[in-house]
Amino acid sequence: MPRWGMVIDVKRCIACWGCTIACKEEHFLPPGVFWNRVLIGERGKYPSSSKLIYPILCNHCSDAACVEACPTGATYVREDGIVAIDDEKCVGCRACLVSCPYQQRTYYDKEVKDREYFPGQGKTEMELIGEKLYPFTLGTVIKCNFCTERLEDGMKKGQTPGVDEDATPACVNMCPVDARVFGDLDDPNSKINRMIMEHKGKQLRPEFGTEPAVYYID
Amino acid sequence: MSKDNHELIQTMFPPDGSGVKPYEWMINPTRQRQWIDKQGIFLWLAFFFTEIGAGLYFVSMFYEYKAGLVLGWLIALFLGGLIHVAYLGNPLRAWRMIMRPNTSELSRGIWVIGAFAALGFLQMVTSGGFNIVFNVIMAILCLIIISHGFTTMNVIRALPAWSSNMVLPFSIVSGVWVGQQILQLMFAITGSADLVSGMEVWAEIFFFAYFLCLVLYGWGTWHANEIGQASIKMMVNDELKIITLIGVLGLAIVLPLIFTLIMWGGQTNGFVIFLRLASIFAGDLAVRYIIMKSAVYKPLLERN
Repeated sequence: MPRWGMVIDVKRCIACWGCTIACKEEHFLPPGVFWNRVLIGERGKYPSSSKLIYPILCNHCSDAACVEACPTGATYVREDGIVAIDDEKCVGCRACLVSCPYQQRTYYDKEVKDREYFPGQGKTEMELIGEKLYPFTLGTVIKCNFCTERLEDGMKKGQTPGVDEDATPACVNMCPVDARVFGDLDDPNSKINRMIMEHKGKQLRPEFGTEPAVYYID
Repeated sequence: MSKDNHELIQTMFPPDGSGVKPYEWMINPTRQRQWIDKQGIFLWLAFFFTEIGAGLYFVSMFYEYKAGLVLGWLIALFLGGLIHVAYLGNPLRAWRMIMRPNTSELSRGIWVIGAFAALGFLQMVTSGGFNIVFNVIMAILCLIIISHGFTTMNVIRALPAWSSNMVLPFSIVSGVWVGQQILQLMFAITGSADLVSGMEVWAEIFFFAYFLCLVLYGWGTWHANEIGQASIKMMVNDELKIITLIGVLGLAIVLPLIFTLIMWGGQTNGFVIFLRLASIFAGDLAVRYIIMKSAVYKPLLERN
């Protein structure tokens, strides 16, 4: 069984927000809800300051604080390492949301559901289609799922996640500078593992102790 | 800026009250919102009522006072319990929260509250309910329930303001202190003058323990790390400043101190006891509010 992970080369990232938009399109996310973000900050002080550009998403931690906090087992780590949410079991206590040190979860309530991309003009046809094609359950928590549907559909067709586009997360496919690489962390010969080894890939804030499956090269 | 443009910006930069743009998410210390803002306000109230209910039950056992037991049991289970359920996104599935006692503090709490409900009911209805075995078991359950809300917060490693070692002692002292004050007022109303006067010694002890816990909590959080300092700064600046000054300093500390000094040496007065209870009731709510409101997450990007 593979253990899916991602490497993001922040030296390549040009902060185009393509990953953010691709993710929003893929999952029909309402306004204000982001499963992918590109953070822009600064390090140091003038004149020796540098700009930081960090694309972030759910880290699919193997020792996830959200999984530990969930009182119902709705949030769980799948065999392939993806941290998933079973919306049938979620009671909406938001313990997972508060526990996540990376704050990559969103509580989906009526206020979020009712948001319109063009406020006061009603939902567009695209938004209405999205609600049918990719419905979320009210009163539950939602987050990045590493495009599980794409992975599973692609693998059924014999494709390889991280290699074949149809079996690879939308944010990885969209990246115009190939800053993102997706693959199997348990395969020592996978591209993702070679990149982590060669470029000394680091997890974001490893001191949180949650063992993220997303690595950064900077 | 036209009204339409303003609305568009409100949409693109989420109207969740955070005022944080998507590209600035978590680059500065970021306040937790889920357990205090909007619907989260229910959780603040639920923790409070569950804990003072258990506190009242706990203190009532020492006086073998059934009316106190009944009131504490009802406050903890019905007031606290119902507000907890009102907070949930899917309350009809609340039963599922018993599923993960091995890892989840919330789940463990449901089991303890279930045991408290059943054994407490038995203690209240049986004639020999105040025997030593029952009392010890119920005292342990009460102490766990009193500290449960803060334990749930304390295990969240991501929020240093809640991970302080003083959070649990504070919650226990706070629950017992408010419970003791409710019971003292009940005795004052029913005319048990000797009991009221005797309880005043404990009121003095609990007040100073409460004050000490608060000071140690603030000191410990400030010295924990820079994120803890950010939490303390948030408490004394901006929108929380008024609540800290009036609620925490005024109602939780200064007024109860004045009332305690007035009744020093057991010279109790029913009206002053009522005023002190009202003051610590509002003060303790304020303390819990600022602790929940000022907890911040560590930024994701290293600045240095």
